[in-house]
Amino acid sequence: MSDIPLRSYRPVTTEAPLFRTALIVVVLGILAVLLFAPLITVFYEALRKGALEALTSLANPEALSAIKLTLLVAALAVPLNAVFGIAAAWFITKYDFRGKAFLITLIDLPFSVSPVVAGLCIVLTFGANTAFGGWLVGMGYPIVFALPGIVLASLFVTFPFVARELIPVMIEQGRAEEEAALTLGASGWRVFLTVTLPNIRWALLYGVLLANARAMGEFGAVAVVSGKIRGVTATMPITIEMMYNEYLSVAAFSLAGVLALLALVTLALKTALEIAHADALAANHRH
Amino acid sequence: MGRPLIHRSPIPGLGVSAGITLTMLSLVVLLPIGALLLKGASAGLDVLWHEVNTRRVWGALFLSFRLSFYAALFNLVFGVALAWILVRYRFPGRRLIDAAVDLPFALPTAVAGIALTALYAPNGAFGALAKDLGFKIAYTPLGIFIALVFVGLPFVTRTVQPVIEEIDREVEEASATLGASRAHTICRVILPMLAPAALTGFALSLARAVGEYGSVIFIAGNLPMKTEIAPLLIVIKLEEFNYDGATAIGLAMLVISFALLFVINAVQVWSRRRIGYV
Repeated sequence: MSDIPLRSYRPVTTEAPLFRTALIVVVLGILAVLLFAPLITVFYEALRKGALEALTSLANPEALSAIKLTLLVAALAVPLNAVFGIAAAWFITKYDFRGKAFLITLIDLPFSVSPVVAGLCIVLTFGANTAFGGWLVGMGYPIVFALPGIVLASLFVTFPFVARELIPVMIEQGRAEEEAALTLGASGWRVFLTVTLPNIRWALLYGVLLANARAMGEFGAVAVVSGKIRGVTATMPITIEMMYNEYLSVAAFSLAGVLALLALVTLALKTALEIAHADALAANHRH
Repeated sequence: MGRPLIHRSPIPGLGVSAGITLTMLSLVVLLPIGALLLKGASAGLDVLWHEVNTRRVWGALFLSFRLSFYAALFNLVFGVALAWILVRYRFPGRRLIDAAVDLPFALPTAVAGIALTALYAPNGAFGALAKDLGFKIAYTPLGIFIALVFVGLPFVTRTVQPVIEEIDREVEEASATLGASRAHTICRVILPMLAPAALTGFALSLARAVGEYGSVIFIAGNLPMKTEIAPLLIVIKLEEFNYDGATAIGLAMLVISFALLFVINAVQVWSRRRIGYV
């Protein structure tokens, strides 16, 4: 009576094994062609004539000045972005006011504006042919076709990054801890540095990482506002374009390789954060 | 209207945080976008229409939106499949693949652009293969499509992934117990649950593709009327010092971007009401 035939049943909440294997193969195949092949190509083309040739091309003055400029732009734009992100997250999560949803929409706006349109907007605001821009040029502080324009363009395209990471985390943490610290007599700054900051530091780092990667790699907006002056306003992505158009393939791909390495390091750190500090990040980054 | 503009709060820092937020928002985002609107208003509708209403501009706008739509559609289907295998299946290298999905967000567009071109040009690895089969990829709309798929790849996966993780397996079991085949359960139970998130990802991918510049211009070939995208036309107008022309195309793209943003918000509100998450 108790002889139930032994037969393995497939759980009803998954697909047939053949279907699963086929789907995995197709999806990974598409990823290999679309995602991994381009990444490998960057390093393959850079090292085509040997590592020495690649390194020599990085040491040429044009490449070096591009690297310096890109580092400088990121060093200015990313901290400004972080300050904005912290201030905006504090303002939005610690107070109740009308128009909060509208403010968040405005902060997100740069995500839905084409980088080229962003560059165009900056040229129309601060360009030498505008009243304000012309006055600034007259005072000796040009913005467009100079460093401030590039920093402004980088800020525009990275604008929501830090704020977006901090807002959900700070909403989740609420205000009780800050209010308790205030009751115990701590000053506002002390509350921020000793109560809030330790709670949001990993989310802050996460946002800064993403903002940095974008700021160093931004092309469209910078292409419009920089004027692409060799050795002066040519950032790494702009220099890559110039070298590529001059058929300096190894030089272009070597510089591209440096940025690709930066992207890989960013991804690695981001993943490490997601694994190690999942509870301190916004919910959609937890694994 | 008795609600005050801002509630009193014991937490200090209102002035500083509101000041920094509003000043930077105005200076970096609102003032420049306002300048574009002002420039458009001062040029007047006649001038703007004159600048937009040329075969070349219509061609570029139509090309940009058509290919962006196809790329977003591809990413919609592929993104759901990718999210599904990442959450539900176990295979070697899954964690690595999961981390690598964000590569298009991290890799600078110019780097992606020259790499895709090297790969899909007639003398590149995949381009040579296509040449043997009798077609071209780089310097054709197909090349632009591939670049747009690349930049939009993570959106759908990243919006859909958390929703799949949240699905209650009991729902699927109930469906199976009631006699539904697995295919039936997927089509009638699971996909409807994923639809709002997938649509959000689709809209984000579409918005990104329409404005994309860096990864496209290398692989596009940039022939007017054939492979010239709208953002490139803005750059060309600016290089010709035709600010009215650049403003007209920029405004057209901005209006369409805002419409997309509105649709994203509407989808999210609708899905929150219908299903209660996303």
